Amino acid sequence: MTQAFGETGGGAANALTDGRPLVELRDLSVLFPRGPAVQGVDLTIMPGEAVGIVGESGSGKSVTWLAVLGLLAGDHRVGGRALLDGADLIGAPNTHLSQVRGGRIGLIFQDPASSLNPVRRVGEQIGEALRLHRGMSGPALRTEAKRLFDLVGIPDAGRRIDLYPHEFSGGQNQRVMIAMALAGQPELLVADEPTTALDVTIQAQILSLLEDLRRELNMALVLISHDLSVVGEVCDRISVMYAGRIVETAPTDRLFARPAHPYTRGLLDAAPSLAGDRRHLVPIRGAVPEPWNMPPGCAFAPRCLHARGDCGAAMPTLRDLEAGHRVRCPHADGSGRIAAPAETGELHHAAT
Amino acid sequence: MPLLELRNLQRVYHTRKGAWGGKDEVHAVRDVSLSLERGRILGLVGESGCGKSTTGRMALGLEEADGGAVLFEGAPLPAAGSSDWRSLRRRMQMVFQDPLGALDRRLTIADQVAEPLVIHGIGSAAERRERVESLLHATGLRPDQGAAYPHELSGGQRQRAVLARALATGPDLLVCDEPVSALDVSIQAQVVNLLLSLQQEMGIAILFISHDLKLVGMISDEVAIMYLGRIVERGDPKALFRAPAHPYTRALLNAVPDPARRGPRPLLAGEPPNPAAQPSGCPFHPRCAMARADCTHIAPELKPIADGRLVACHLAHKGAAVAREAEAC
Amino acid sequence: MLMFVLQRLARAVLTILIVVTFAFVTLRLTSDPTLVVLGPDAPPESIAAFRLRWGLDKPIWQQFFYYVAGLMRGDFGRSMLNGADVLPMVVARILVTLKIMLPALAIGVGVGVSAGVFAALKRGTLADRMIMFLAVVGFTVPGFVLGLVLVLVFAVSLGWLPSGGNDSWSSPILPVVTLGAYWSAVLARFTRSSMIEVLGQPYILTASAKGLLWQAVVTRHALPNAAIPVVTTVGLMVGGMLAGAVVTESVFSWPGLGQLLVTSVAARDVAIVQCILLLVATTMVLSNMAVDFLYGLLDPRLRSGLH
Repeated sequence: MTQAFGETGGGAANALTDGRPLVELRDLSVLFPRGPAVQGVDLTIMPGEAVGIVGESGSGKSVTWLAVLGLLAGDHRVGGRALLDGADLIGAPNTHLSQVRGGRIGLIFQDPASSLNPVRRVGEQIGEALRLHRGMSGPALRTEAKRLFDLVGIPDAGRRIDLYPHEFSGGQNQRVMIAMALAGQPELLVADEPTTALDVTIQAQILSLLEDLRRELNMALVLISHDLSVVGEVCDRISVMYAGRIVETAPTDRLFARPAHPYTRGLLDAAPSLAGDRRHLVPIRGAVPEPWNMPPGCAFAPRCLHARGDCGAAMPTLRDLEAGHRVRCPHADGSGRIAAPAETGELHHAAT
Repeated sequence: MPLLELRNLQRVYHTRKGAWGGKDEVHAVRDVSLSLERGRILGLVGESGCGKSTTGRMALGLEEADGGAVLFEGAPLPAAGSSDWRSLRRRMQMVFQDPLGALDRRLTIADQVAEPLVIHGIGSAAERRERVESLLHATGLRPDQGAAYPHELSGGQRQRAVLARALATGPDLLVCDEPVSALDVSIQAQVVNLLLSLQQEMGIAILFISHDLKLVGMISDEVAIMYLGRIVERGDPKALFRAPAHPYTRALLNAVPDPARRGPRPLLAGEPPNPAAQPSGCPFHPRCAMARADCTHIAPELKPIADGRLVACHLAHKGAAVAREAEAC
Repeated sequence: MLMFVLQRLARAVLTILIVVTFAFVTLRLTSDPTLVVLGPDAPPESIAAFRLRWGLDKPIWQQFFYYVAGLMRGDFGRSMLNGADVLPMVVARILVTLKIMLPALAIGVGVGVSAGVFAALKRGTLADRMIMFLAVVGFTVPGFVLGLVLVLVFAVSLGWLPSGGNDSWSSPILPVVTLGAYWSAVLARFTRSSMIEVLGQPYILTASAKGLLWQAVVTRHALPNAAIPVVTTVGLMVGGMLAGAVVTESVFSWPGLGQLLVTSVAARDVAIVQCILLLVATTMVLSNMAVDFLYGLLDPRLRSGLH
């Protein structure tokens, strides 16, 4: 059960000491043999900030962060820069990266049940991180592991650190993962779809936990999800990714109130709501293009209801609409949501 | 007469605890009663372990109930595997969550859509080809996609193929178990719309099983919430969402992420329950903030409240249904 | 837990009994040892005397009964050829067989598992493909072919090593290499696929994301998980060790258990054959049981019933 850590809910970022960003991604790109997965990503994370990254499959949202930490396997090339406190992580030596991973940037993943080593006790697995990043050992290590368990809300910590992962439920396993990620006292926690595999009531618990931990530990959070509302609840700022690029970045309130990019609008309209009205959903026709089959110009143009002739000419650049609100669409004017046309006849045709 | 009626269904699994332990009884489904009228959509919502998938399978006769009865058009389902049961397959079909797993990777889409017609001996070869073409078209697939293999299509396209196949024999009942959970949001919307259009055109009744309360609420005529094998609330979706009567329904609604929320969110405490170790009395009482003495040893019955909804909660019948955010859970 | 152990033991005993019975009946039914031992020209009185002495004139079930009764007393019978006690003969041969089996198994595990792990870590590279090619050759080429080729090259052409027998210190080398090659090949393939499967698991990514260097990820997270099916396979191989000797010992005239089995079957020396089969059945059954327990020990997910 989660302990009460204090007020949760949207709003203010923590006071910044000197305004310098914690992490800065500049023109980040990831190229696989079959095609580009991520292109031209610019993103800044300030200390203590909660940033949401939203995208569907093929958006490159996970690949971005795996590339930043050098965790991508196989044949690939990473371009651009990923600055942590000004030092570039791309191409950094492995010894440096292994200190960053878990020590300065923690990472948690989607399926907690299979993300933990099944044949080792969870206390040992947390202990590994404690030993590595904080040089702890012996009884001090065990005490700290218990404290971390308490911090993430796992009851009966003293007994449970000696259990194996399969002896926990999904939600508890995710708490274990979070505890393990926090062991190195990172300044940034990247959570890649942390609640997607969990039941909705457990999802709520975990999101609340992440929020509380962020405030208590003054830790920055990058929350990656395909679900805009999940990200909307926890994050101050949201970046929407499509086909490997960021297409819109805005403070949360503004993104929901006045989404500028047609894809963002499409996502908001396509998601079912709790209004309880029986109606058809408003889908986005077509499907995400494959990396090797990108359309010329704007990647979203083939699916965009507002596409015009020049959309296929060149890839639009990310431009500023207002302070903090950037969009990759030459025709977006940020004036507000335009109701999607009721082309129901066309809307359910499958993509090319 | 309802098309499908489930009366007091029970399903108990007997498992072994680990490699050396004794036997365990898992009450997956306890006393579930539902009815579905022709051409309507009934949504069944719950989290993992609540028994909704098991209920769906029992409704089709894919699993034998250990108690209670399943009536299709007023008559009990024939025994599974019998020839009567097999011929009933053309009137009731199922759509599962994983479209890739539901399709045979060695057959083309068109062959698989045609398969039910072949099995039930419907139409000549030419008629079948025509029907497959029209089904593919109706589900938004192109003829060249019909000639492709499952792995050559995207998730959304595969689910359309599964739908086309399920509709091939013109069933009266479709049981959909998490049909769009594995799909991207934008594709989900496409497939759900398709399902709704076809449902309206063909007058099919749908039992829509999902964990996604929002989605179910938007498309269903009636919603039933399940917890630990029992139905805890059942009724009109709008009423359910506006003023949930059962504390678990309220917890589910509170758990839905809402970007507009300000201030702390009331959380449902505790872990999802273990169907092998069910609490006495009301199954929800260990996690319920409002549990009273009799909740711990008397299981509440599913009874109607003022607006006609069915609720299984002692407190709901004592007082009025409380509004959604009013009480911290 | 106790029930489980007793159940397994009961099944083990039953399996052994079935094997022994089957061997007994088949041997007695397929031909008459009398003529084989004494020769086709033996006079009728010798035949009768032989049959009387060895109880072959009695009905099969009675012979079986005497045999089992004998087993209970620890009496495994006598060789029909020289009248000696069977058990000491067999035991002596076991040690000789182990002299090539144990080193071969050690090579198989050492070389095979290492090669498999290496190939998995270097998956897709030339090294991986070469190792796998050698592995495929290693277990598709029949043991006797490899053995004969080695004899031809090293014993006949080069004269470096003896072609058979157990006369010098260098005698075991060729048989050990032949057997070792086969087992290395099998284990290399098996270890590689187990390792590849483990390396694809999300917890490996988690371990890297924690900041562990790749070496640590492999040794502390990948290997322990990949080892589980490999260890159990090796356990089963140990069980089949005695039985696997037959072909190799024939090729190299190695005077071990396998050779004894072959000659005894040819001579219809039933007591020896039965004793060897009983021994082989027992080792296989016991190693199976040991592997089952080992699996539970190594993989905590299988132990949950105990809590």
